Amino acid sequence: MIENEFNRRDFLKVLGWGGAAVAVSGCGFTSVQDGVENVVSYVEANEYMIPGIGVYFNSTCAQCDAACGITGKVREGRVLKLEGNAASSINRGRLCGLGQAGVQAHYNPDRVTEPRTGKGEKLDWEKALGQVKEKLTGVSGDEIAFLTGNLSGHLKVLLGNYMDALGSKNHFVYDAVAPAVMRASNKKAYGNEMPALRLDKAKVIVSFGADFLGSWVSPVNFSQQYAQFRKGVNNGGRGVLVQIEPKMTLTGANADRWIPANPGTEGVLALGLINALGAAGVSIPSDIAASVSAYGVERVSKDTGVSAEQIQKLAAVLKERSPSLVIAGGGAEGYAHGSQNAAAVALLNQVLGNVGKTVEAPSVVPFPQLAPTAGGTAGLKAFNDGLAAGKFKVVFTLGANPVYSAPAFMKLADNLKKAAFKVALADAIDETAAQADLVLPLDSAMESWGTVVAEYQAGDAHIGIQQPLMERLYDNTRSAGDILLSLVKQQKADDYKAFEDYYAYLRGAVVQAKGSLGGAGMDDDEFWSTVLSSGMVKTGNASSSLRTSASAVTLPAAAVADAAFPLRLLPYVQPSMRDGRHANLPWLQESPDPLTTIVWDSWVEMHPKTAAKLGIVEGDIVEVTSKSGSIKAQAYIFPGIHPDAVSVPFGNGHTELGRYAKGVGANVFQMLDPVFDQETGELAINETHVKVSKTGKRVIVVKEEGAAGGSQAGKKIAGRLASNNVDLSKEV
Amino acid sequence: MRHFLRLSILLIGLFSGSSSFAADTLPPVNTADDLGPQVDQPIEFPHNRHAKDMGINCMYCHTYARRAPVAGIPPLQKCMGCHNGIESVKDKPRIKELFKHWDEKKPIAWKKVHDLPDYVRFNHERHVKRFIVQQDKPVQEVCGYCHGDVKEGTVARRQKPLSMGWCVSCHEKAHPTDKTAQATAQGPNDCWQCHK
Ligand code: SF4
Repeated sequence: MIENEFNRRDFLKVLGWGGAAVAVSGCGFTSVQDGVENVVSYVEANEYMIPGIGVYFNSTCAQCDAACGITGKVREGRVLKLEGNAASSINRGRLCGLGQAGVQAHYNPDRVTEPRTGKGEKLDWEKALGQVKEKLTGVSGDEIAFLTGNLSGHLKVLLGNYMDALGSKNHFVYDAVAPAVMRASNKKAYGNEMPALRLDKAKVIVSFGADFLGSWVSPVNFSQQYAQFRKGVNNGGRGVLVQIEPKMTLTGANADRWIPANPGTEGVLALGLINALGAAGVSIPSDIAASVSAYGVERVSKDTGVSAEQIQKLAAVLKERSPSLVIAGGGAEGYAHGSQNAAAVALLNQVLGNVGKTVEAPSVVPFPQLAPTAGGTAGLKAFNDGLAAGKFKVVFTLGANPVYSAPAFMKLADNLKKAAFKVALADAIDETAAQADLVLPLDSAMESWGTVVAEYQAGDAHIGIQQPLMERLYDNTRSAGDILLSLVKQQKADDYKAFEDYYAYLRGAVVQAKGSLGGAGMDDDEFWSTVLSSGMVKTGNASSSLRTSASAVTLPAAAVADAAFPLRLLPYVQPSMRDGRHANLPWLQESPDPLTTIVWDSWVEMHPKTAAKLGIVEGDIVEVTSKSGSIKAQAYIFPGIHPDAVSVPFGNGHTELGRYAKGVGANVFQMLDPVFDQETGELAINETHVKVSKTGKRVIVVKEEGAAGGSQAGKKIAGRLASNNVDLSKEV
Repeated sequence: MRHFLRLSILLIGLFSGSSSFAADTLPPVNTADDLGPQVDQPIEFPHNRHAKDMGINCMYCHTYARRAPVAGIPPLQKCMGCHNGIESVKDKPRIKELFKHWDEKKPIAWKKVHDLPDYVRFNHERHVKRFIVQQDKPVQEVCGYCHGDVKEGTVARRQKPLSMGWCVSCHEKAHPTDKTAQATAQGPNDCWQCHK
């Protein structure tokens, strides 16, 4: 038998756990703690607050501009988990991964917690705001600039009023991965920037590079519509999805056919389809027919790399399955002729008679002042031009991180130095806040009040209400609304003196309009609590309409390739990383990219043939060089990409932004070439040409995909998707 | 020796979870040194005065136990509900301290004495339903299964090991399904019942 001395410690040693006294504490006797942690009881408990049982509050997701409704589970005063708000017509109870990570943005240990100077000295709010006032004295409106991300609701109103008070017209709106080209071309084609898309009603969807299941415009809404489209709920049977894009996205991976047309030839293919439809007997206005007559199947096949047979089949599917829906997304827009590509796709919709059927006039919130100002990279360029010319003395940034996401050719970081006083409203020290002279720390979205109007309104138009789900984690953070209110009070104290804080302002504003917001006859408190409990206010729709008349589109001749840079760089807007503002959320870093399954890093995606030609295997650290810059990252060999292109995801490669983002991966923004869409002035993100070379280093790619899968190449998985030889028309 | 035996019982609990190993006859593991350490509390709360002398039902104060996973520490409001009207003890130091917290609206930071690891989800409501509601057992007896004879002590002190083996020792027993029934049932032994 075992001797008495053979006590627990020895026993652990035998099992190999010796030495580490706490190693197996989880198994039993030492794991119950006595008198270590506190349990703080309420002084007065709310009836509905039961420790251990969640209470749910509705609010609005602030992780992207889709503005889905959220329901936060709060327990013992702490927000634990977010779900979708079932009453929201945008997301109808669902939430994407990026939205889920909203709690992590809130609890992020790298949040800025106090106002501070550029040197990192802490200030109190009075001093901090005093500094702003002081620096603005004697500075003319023209010398003040405010760069923000997309804004809507009362925050936008306050900012507008502040800029007016300062006499400045320099509010620039910047979104690094915005569908800005599409907005402009929609406006031209349909008379509306953001028509409602009815994926569910379409019998066939042909998407030209719109990753509507992953990152495009309002992915949660589209995913649900897509489910209905596939189930045949409103379209009489399972819909067919064809995705035309040289870099496979999540949507491409879900498509019945993924067609990697040559990058930039989306417009040619669309016009070719119009031509083929005309030849197949679809009635097309004569001027349009004449304008596409040059796009015969042979020529289009040659330009696009899509076989003549497949073009014919595609036309046949579109003809027989009506209504259809064609969409132009980021993949088609990011070119010097991006506007024309998008216009050609819109024209295809018009020719197919989809306008009014699957492309509908959107619901519009009848308060234009609250409508979103949606920007793109043109806003950044204008801001940067002003900085470069030394026009701005005082610069504010909010919801934008241009030092990270501006391409290197803009020299924005240097230009920013020309502004004497830079104020960053930020929740973490990102690259832009790191250069600021004053950082004003923001509340998280779980701590702030706000109103949000989604740019893409689905169903009933509504204003999303953002309300705190819990008390502030840090005493010295403030919401963007509160900061702007304080700033505008500095200029116009009398106008705003009735509002003690942003909450009072917001409540006042919403309650004042209760008559037109469905609250007629309710008293103020009753109306306000209804608004808060539903997390939104339905506003009723302002009328909107779409133009159906079509006009011809001309496409420029294809540019000649530069032999020194033989490959095209197709940056990838990854569903959870997007433009990189959330790279500091470990959940998002940890969740595998839906296609490559890679985590915590950047990668260079290339076709097996291209890799073989260059002698590159998975894990090789390669250098991707453009005229404007270069990055190094691990190679990932993937058949879901055009052989003449490589793809690198946006979002990583931060030099700031806290412990989880800093030093992870490479920043592909900075190597983009200075090519702009000729109509809108948006940065053409797919127009960078690169060469790829091996550095001689190799790593093991950290990914979810099993070792046996290794790569999908040769497994006849992706090969089948890319095939041109499947008889698509048999599906009709 | 004693230590080792205890661990081996635990391991048996772990590795032969559903074996028929003398389950019905094994007493819950509970030896004298399972008593947790004395923990100083901000107010030395006399459980004996309340539960024994006054005969107050445990769930009058720990009211969440029948509705939630945690029993909860009563809100100050609850204490005041009675003590506001009990003149005889108003000048006692502990009650003065209580009034001070109440007047300042300052919550009391008690120390936890039954703090299970985060991967264990104990649910008070389930146990209250099973034994007090279904079997109609006296409240103090039922609470006592895990908390010992609270009415005999002052400041709460852990009385039982609250380890997995100890939990399992009771879950393996056959318990009547209600106060009259002959039928018995064991507590669940799926991992996920407690480890979610
Ligand atoms: S799509 Fe955007 S708004 Fe909707 S849940 Fe995801 S991150 Fe939030």
